[in-house]
Amino acid sequence: MIKDTSKPRQNYFNRNQGLAMTILVLSLLPFVVGLFEGSSPVQVWLNEGGTSKFIEGLAIEIFILAIFALSYDLLFGITGLLSLGHSMFFATGAYLTGILLKNFETPLGLTILWVLGAAVINALIFGLVLPRVKGITFALVTLGIASVFHILIMSRELGDFTGADVGLQRIPSPAFINPATERLRFYFLALAILVFFFLVYKRFVSSPVGRVCVAIRENEGRALMLGYNTFVFKLAALTLSSITASVAGLIHAIYQPIVSPNTAGLGYTIMALLVVLIGGVGTLNGALIGAAVYRLLDFGLRRYLGEVASFVNGTIYILIVLFLPYGIVGTWRLKSLDIRQGWKRLLGYVQKSK
Amino acid sequence: MNINLKKDLPRWLTLFGLLVFFVIAARGMETKDWVITLLRGLSVGSVTFLVASGFSLIFGLLDVLNMAHGTMFMIGAYITWTVYVRPDTFVDLLTPGLLLLSGFTLSAVWKRLARGLKQKGNWRVILRWVGLIVGIAAMIYILPRYPITIWDVGNYSQSPVTYSYLADQGLINLPPGLPFEEISPLVAVLGLLAASLLTAFSLSTFGARSQVAPPVSWKNLILFGFLTVTGVLALVFNNPLTSFLTGMNTTLLFTIALSVGVLAGVLLGSVMEATLIRPLYSRPIYQLMLTLGLSAIGVEAVRAIWGRPEFVMPKPSLFAGVGDGCPASSIADLWTNHCSTILLFDGRIRVYNEIFIPLVGLTVLAGIWILLQRSRLGMIIRAGVQDREMVEALGINVQRVFNTVFATGVGLAVLGGGLAAPSMGLSNVMGETLILNALIALAIGGLTNFPGAALGSLLVGLLQQVIIKYGAIGIPIPFTDIVFKPTPPLVPASTVLLMVFVLLILPNGLLGKKE
Repeated sequence: MIKDTSKPRQNYFNRNQGLAMTILVLSLLPFVVGLFEGSSPVQVWLNEGGTSKFIEGLAIEIFILAIFALSYDLLFGITGLLSLGHSMFFATGAYLTGILLKNFETPLGLTILWVLGAAVINALIFGLVLPRVKGITFALVTLGIASVFHILIMSRELGDFTGADVGLQRIPSPAFINPATERLRFYFLALAILVFFFLVYKRFVSSPVGRVCVAIRENEGRALMLGYNTFVFKLAALTLSSITASVAGLIHAIYQPIVSPNTAGLGYTIMALLVVLIGGVGTLNGALIGAAVYRLLDFGLRRYLGEVASFVNGTIYILIVLFLPYGIVGTWRLKSLDIRQGWKRLLGYVQKSK
Repeated sequence: MNINLKKDLPRWLTLFGLLVFFVIAARGMETKDWVITLLRGLSVGSVTFLVASGFSLIFGLLDVLNMAHGTMFMIGAYITWTVYVRPDTFVDLLTPGLLLLSGFTLSAVWKRLARGLKQKGNWRVILRWVGLIVGIAAMIYILPRYPITIWDVGNYSQSPVTYSYLADQGLINLPPGLPFEEISPLVAVLGLLAASLLTAFSLSTFGARSQVAPPVSWKNLILFGFLTVTGVLALVFNNPLTSFLTGMNTTLLFTIALSVGVLAGVLLGSVMEATLIRPLYSRPIYQLMLTLGLSAIGVEAVRAIWGRPEFVMPKPSLFAGVGDGCPASSIADLWTNHCSTILLFDGRIRVYNEIFIPLVGLTVLAGIWILLQRSRLGMIIRAGVQDREMVEALGINVQRVFNTVFATGVGLAVLGGGLAAPSMGLSNVMGETLILNALIALAIGGLTNFPGAALGSLLVGLLQQVIIKYGAIGIPIPFTDIVFKPTPPLVPASTVLLMVFVLLILPNGLLGKKE
């Protein structure tokens, strides 16, 4: 990254203008949609607008996907660990939330604690195999662990809790964030959690631990030679990633009221991988933009094309790979200097011709 | 391979443990049961191996994880089925296919011609794009108007399912060929030929300046002439050819169908590598996304052309006899009556599924092994798997080898699909299950190790069949009266567990070398 050293150091807000603007736009979004629909902001506030409620729901799904993809980007894009078992983290969060709320009627605060604990245990399970296997073998072993978890969830013996192959149904959601009646509050909560994790991740990547993680991605042998115990750093990234993904699962379980066993399958991991690849590997912003692009593309195509949607989807992925070689954000960062210079040249040309 | 017992102790212990496991499993069954289980395991293993070996060759040499390999397997099954059950569609498709292909056989001539053109100005660029656009426009105009007899997905009475059923009963009655209505045959043939020549020429001008033009030999021209003439002949003798194929001995037809499928697969692989995979060698992880996208496209294309319902493929006549003397009790009986089943230790064994497929698998294993060990190409491939940059530095045209290997890999997957179609049936999801099995087999055997792919596939096939068998007879747990019957979800789980177990002991697989 090229840093402009000519300008004096800016304050925190100025440095994060883009983020602040995004938050502002996203906060106003339900109300603007409400105005278009013809319902006043007060009505939107009271969750009475139909379209704005629908848009909020779509946005909440994007936020959940973005949190999940963010956690995958930390593991894959920043630390360089290709895991194919990432959906296990998400499904653990979702299923544990569902089971605790439904079968044990645990209060939400305690549920969150349980989920966080389970996420740490999950990370430790992956950590067990971490020093043994590397690269593509790590991907396959994690795929194996996640498959066992998937089969466990689908098994009939645990059907009383997990609902076997039907999945968890009718999870009671706490009244104050009930997605049906209090959707706007849920929307802001999901947005807040997303922003929180994004800021934590940005801080993590620029922290000394995060820099070592990047070094491990670039060349693990060299990081070892410099005296870093790479296992500890990888485990730290894995734990943070696991916690984030589990929280995404928790929000998913409360929002959807159902959890399907597909959330533990390979397809869910591949989805996160696709989102990160669309956005740009290792860019963090890319995970958020990729999530929005992926979900909106999927939604739009399914709505307007129906059957052939995944055909078009596949074609679009291939076009993205061929024409946006490093994902949306990655390519933008590479080209932004060129674009700026080209713009300046164009302006100079126009001025000269005057 | 020199055996070093001390160094390789974990490896030998694991292999020994697996052997003991299978022997104990076999001891728990009756003789006929374990023979059947063994043969079924070999059969599943062979199909898995055909996919896994191509995957492993491609991954080893090109570093491409081709997630579309399972889709290729599925497409192979569907192509073989079409040639076998609907020869009329195949004959109708033959002419446009060959004509479109013929222009590209002259690429050496085109490259030479493109170098001869004046290098000045934008003429080159204009010519290239005009040629490309005109060529593709001609194709878009002609191809939808070209009459091809095909089933109507919307109309169920004409669906592939019906045709499979009729073919199985021997009652197949193909619909009459469609006449040329919207376009005259002469215009169609000449137009397609011209479109192909133009497109091939325009495509060959890309990057022609930097490359050394390959020498033009008579081989190119002969191939071009052969393809064109065959294409035209197929059009002229459309109906006789169709009735000839329909009336043919089904064993021979099956062989033709398999070869057509493999040829199409090799072509598809070659085109895929040259157009889509080649620009991405510098960005390995994006190949994953590309092949995933291709896989989605392939599945959707199959759904659009053949529809969603599953259907079967009748077995060729050599393996379909059920009359007198069947099930056969000896090899001689089998040979004279073409029985579909044979009695072995009082167990009925299906000849196609449990004897023919493993034999083909073994033949392919031996063939590729000889190719890898005894030919110049094999030497380059082995060297490339070890150190690609070094091979490039030694002045070998790696690009061409890459293309060959990718095409071969896809061809093997297609062969697997075609072979599996009569025993497994055809469905839209057959590729996904198989690619997972193949990945697991490769992980067990060693990702880039060719014998490892065979061993891993065998282990996966055997383990699955053993678990399925014990699902029927049950495992008595010692000191209790409980009989544990493995449920169907445990079949994939068992292979996954085996993979995790092997990888934790030997991170590079059973036969993989330490990197």
